[in-house]
Amino acid sequence: MSGKLENHDLGKTEEMNLLNAINLGLHQEMERDEGVRLLGYDIGPIGGVFRATEDLVDEFGKDRVLDTPLSEEGILGVSVGLAMRGERPIAEIQFMGFLYPAFSQFMYSLAKMHKRSGGSFSIPVTVRLPFGGGIKPSEYHSESTESYLIHTPGVRVVCPSTPEDAKGLLAASVRSDDPVMFLEHKKMYRTTTGPVPQDPYTVSLDDARIVSEGSDVTVLTWGAMVQQTEMAAAEVDADVEIIDLRVLAPLDVETVLNSVRKTGRCVVVHEARRTLGLGAELSALISEYSLDCLKAPVKRATGYDVHFPGHQTEDAYLPDANRARSAIEAVMAYEF
Amino acid sequence: MTKWSEQLPNTDYFQLLTPDGELNGDLPDLPEETLLEMYRSFVQTRVYENKIMKLQRRGELSIINRTLGEEATGLGTLAALDPGDWCFTGYRQAAGLFYWDYPLELPIASLMGYEPETIDKHLEMDWESPINFTPTYVPLAANIPNAAGSAMYDSFNQNETVTLTHIGEGATSEGAFYEGMNFAGVFEPPLVVICQNNQWAISVPARRQSGSDTFAQKAEAFGIPHDRVDGNDLFAVYKKTREAVERARKGGGPTFIECVTYRRGEHNTADDPGVYRSDEVQEFWEERDPVERFEAYLRSENLVDDGTIQDLEQEMRERVDQAIETVRNLPTSEPSQMFDNHIRTQSWNERHQREELGAELRGDNPFVDFNGEGL
Repeated sequence: MSGKLENHDLGKTEEMNLLNAINLGLHQEMERDEGVRLLGYDIGPIGGVFRATEDLVDEFGKDRVLDTPLSEEGILGVSVGLAMRGERPIAEIQFMGFLYPAFSQFMYSLAKMHKRSGGSFSIPVTVRLPFGGGIKPSEYHSESTESYLIHTPGVRVVCPSTPEDAKGLLAASVRSDDPVMFLEHKKMYRTTTGPVPQDPYTVSLDDARIVSEGSDVTVLTWGAMVQQTEMAAAEVDADVEIIDLRVLAPLDVETVLNSVRKTGRCVVVHEARRTLGLGAELSALISEYSLDCLKAPVKRATGYDVHFPGHQTEDAYLPDANRARSAIEAVMAYEF
Repeated sequence: MTKWSEQLPNTDYFQLLTPDGELNGDLPDLPEETLLEMYRSFVQTRVYENKIMKLQRRGELSIINRTLGEEATGLGTLAALDPGDWCFTGYRQAAGLFYWDYPLELPIASLMGYEPETIDKHLEMDWESPINFTPTYVPLAANIPNAAGSAMYDSFNQNETVTLTHIGEGATSEGAFYEGMNFAGVFEPPLVVICQNNQWAISVPARRQSGSDTFAQKAEAFGIPHDRVDGNDLFAVYKKTREAVERARKGGGPTFIECVTYRRGEHNTADDPGVYRSDEVQEFWEERDPVERFEAYLRSENLVDDGTIQDLEQEMRERVDQAIETVRNLPTSEPSQMFDNHIRTQSWNERHQREELGAELRGDNPFVDFNGEGL
């Protein structure tokens, strides 16, 4: 059920970057369902500041690709209103660091309306959030604050790390009756490429992805850190099992525990600040439910508990293959 | 003790019925039958609120926000809708809900702490709402952007449906008010926003909410037409809202209406207005009671008399008592229902936490799973 190695047989694939996979996914979902409407600013003629919505306004018109006022609370709140009437809006928050003005709508309406209404209203909104560091824009444009989202019940939090997953998870998010916070790593938009099935398909919103199987140490990661972890794994003298969580809420705990029980060691790699980052929850789950299998403490190779730094120090803040490798080597060397 | 001094409101507003119940303009086009329905809603609200206040004092109900003195605003605005319209409901418009035969059992069950799932499952109701009511909004102004989205849905789909929503004057200070109104100004959907200005946001007076002369004029900056009406005059409230609803339905865009009224009671039953306000304007507002004003008009038209009023009050007391009994007989909510209606999956965490709660309720230790395989 969970964590299977993916093997799509979905016909023709094409090599695409993550950005184009998302653009294609948006295109196909809008074509499939007239109730899919995009809301955000700079998503129309300019095609988004990253060009994720390029050409969509030409194809679907200004009412379905809705350039809005600069108003995150309005974008989220209006999306919820449309969803309460049966549509499936896709809201774009231009940068994850701009989400905070919308936090009240996120908590009061997006995450809670389904529960508050005893299930009579569904809020099938997908909120696209470009996030993450490494492209040296400026301080408010680089953060990874997924913990705020994961801590909130009633929403899914999704984060693809391959173009194929990006398209399939996006389609699944749009079609899901649950609200989904969809994290897209900015640095990966143009640098991460891979084969993408051209026909529409979905990827499960419940399962982690096992990137590579291994027997010595489990690395739990997501987003841009998956690739860094793969680079680290190639350099260490250990058989590394890499799990791309890809759905951060609800967590695929079963896959995590099964892996750690097998390897006995675990490292979490994430860009977010360490304290109460998702690594803290993973580490707690592993200690609660797999302590007797552990050969070393869980280590977290993460960002530091600071505001996202400026250009010159960004590289020192961000975890990378080097930091991941150090953490893997440390737990491999540890003896009780 | 420091208290706010109170001021009388700027009474430069639209009015059709004088405080004595005399017509001061053209009567809105309402048949006698509707006038009597409106009066029934007023009486039901007063009887209902008196009763639940007693139950609250006995500890049977949670905190109550009653509507004493501002009933005409909820009633007049909601009566101006047509079946099929949408209302993103605030929490102080009881008389308007009752106008559409909103079952008394629903607010009572909610005040008794029932989960919505229990109410849905066990409360048998022979009532299909003519108006699409959302759940009551409690966070201030959170309904404005949602209602704007609902109205935009009808513009995009060229429906002749109107969305109406209520906020208080205090909520016009919230960011959601500006962002929602701004969308309404830009996209011009069929939306009517009612500002029920009852002068008080718990203990903070209206003049501390804004430097504007009126709340109505806040709409000016959004390019949204606005009105300011005597919120205790049912005819004035109805007429201006009806005009706005009809204009919206014909594609004429949104309207903002400030209804000037006064919260004669407390913010809610956990509040004590004696701490922060004096009684200096109470008499002014009692003389402008919305129910007595309307009743005076109906008496002058020979539509009600002492006998019919007494009969109506008795009927409403029986209805309220019946509703309370019905709710008292509902089974209490199952604790595990707290997990329902979040996301549509049985995640590992949800399964395990449901099990833990079950164990705790049975008196078993929920913390004895050390391998994740469950209890």
